[in-house]
Amino acid sequence: MPARVLLVEDTPTQAEIAKAMLREFGHDMRHAETAGAALKIAEEWRPDAILVDLVLPDFSGMELMRRLKAQGVNAACIVLTAHGPVNTAVEAMREGATDFLLKPYAAARLRVTLENALEKRALRQALDTAQTVLGRDRFYGFIGGSPAMQAVYRTIESVAGSKATVFISGESGTGKEVAAEALHQASPRCRKAFIALNCGAIPRDLLESEIFGHVKGAFTGATENRIGAARAADGGTLFLDEIGELPAEMQVKLLRFVQTGQVTPVGGTRAEKVDVRLVCATNRDILAEVQAGRFREDLYYRLYVVPVVLPPLRARGEDVLLIARHLLAAYAREEGKAFTGFDAEAEGAISTYPWPGNVRQLQNVLRNAVVLHTGGIVTRSMFPALLLHGAPASSPAAVAAHPAPPSPIEPLVVSEKRLILAALEHTGQDVPRAAALLDVNPSTLYRKLTAWKRES
Amino acid sequence: MQIVSQMSALDPEVASQLAEDLPPDVFRNIISTFEEDLARLTQELAAAARAGDQEGYERAAHSLAGAAAAVGAIGLEREARIAMDHRQPEPPATVLPRLLNEAEAALQALHALIN
Repeated sequence: MPARVLLVEDTPTQAEIAKAMLREFGHDMRHAETAGAALKIAEEWRPDAILVDLVLPDFSGMELMRRLKAQGVNAACIVLTAHGPVNTAVEAMREGATDFLLKPYAAARLRVTLENALEKRALRQALDTAQTVLGRDRFYGFIGGSPAMQAVYRTIESVAGSKATVFISGESGTGKEVAAEALHQASPRCRKAFIALNCGAIPRDLLESEIFGHVKGAFTGATENRIGAARAADGGTLFLDEIGELPAEMQVKLLRFVQTGQVTPVGGTRAEKVDVRLVCATNRDILAEVQAGRFREDLYYRLYVVPVVLPPLRARGEDVLLIARHLLAAYAREEGKAFTGFDAEAEGAISTYPWPGNVRQLQNVLRNAVVLHTGGIVTRSMFPALLLHGAPASSPAAVAAHPAPPSPIEPLVVSEKRLILAALEHTGQDVPRAAALLDVNPSTLYRKLTAWKRES
Repeated sequence: MQIVSQMSALDPEVASQLAEDLPPDVFRNIISTFEEDLARLTQELAAAARAGDQEGYERAAHSLAGAAAAVGAIGLEREARIAMDHRQPEPPATVLPRLLNEAEAALQALHALIN
């Protein structure tokens, strides 16, 4: 198979011989008489192999290899040398040469050396690709190398370049916004805005204005024009989280936006075209929502183009420890604590707990441990009782699917406590999100939690 | 007898291998390029010797050694390597005439090989 070969040789006789041989081999070949010219050609042409004379008019072949490496040129370098002292060969290999050839050389010798170097480079590239695809334990904001996450990384990479709408699903705390940001960062839109909106946390009356903007005077309190998330994300990505919480009237407006790509602000009369890549997410079973008539079927088909399913933390094997170590280091740094790791029992507890609140719950538990304790190693005793006494009866998804039959009548305070605890369980103990779902102020929940703790 | 002395200016293995590896017209072109190199580099060598430019002298000698080695002109290569080695005691006035003789012999031998 013809390769791109750059010859760096300043003596015309030697250059002519090498060029004639390379032509005979059928390779695509270019020639540079100086190291400077070679750098320029290598950067633009990206050769597969470079034949480098060690003594060149401007700077040495060794220096050329150093600069090629710094420039990110990953061609196989073969050093051409008239003398064969061992230290020259060793130095050349240390500078990244794949092999060296003693001058003068026969055509057969050049052919074998070049083929070996090209084969070695091809194997290295194949290995690097395989490691990139299979062995990543980081991907944009994600930490984790489990097979389940590798599949997620591959899907994100595959669809990042397209404008197709992506629908992310997964339990609370699995990283849906992280996935949306990764999609944006991996896409050609990465230099434009990434706008995230949580449809479940915005009061119904304000949703339309938040997404599509409003004109001054459109409603009481609209004292200025507001462009809204869709126009703010023009050229970039609009992420609508908790899309399942969207009220019916907003579903119609979103459908129109998805169909036309046009935005009409509240109170406005003129529609404006925007170029937005839409990413949606939900922790609900969106198809069940469609079947129950709570989510429009036509909108579902518009949005559910490329599904990305995020696995729960309990299905990610060793990832939980990788994430825990990363979070511990970050929280210790932020809080000025000396924690450097976990003892074996603590790691065992982290590994065996099913984490119904996923990464968000893990974050809360570790933040709590770092804030409330001191020392160098996190021990099991620093974790909340919930973690130490094993798994909760079921995951939030299971609870949602099979709710316990409520008693017909109960005291109001009992109902209230039950609802609050359910909301906390649902959000992985995330108080602000639980408060948003219950439509109360987070401080109300904090106050009640403190009171219950005192009572118990 | 003359052919034998001309051939001794060449390493038969290198020159014959080259003639065998490359098509005749390509080999002829290479000999022409070598001839041009020889004319240019011997002039540069002589000029650097006259000007007392040691660095230029060694650089030209190095290129000449490389060109000579490529076509198997072993006698010329040997003299060029002496010239490029600043530790050797022989002055340019002694080395240069020998080097030019070897250059002439190498060219004759290469032309004989083509013909």
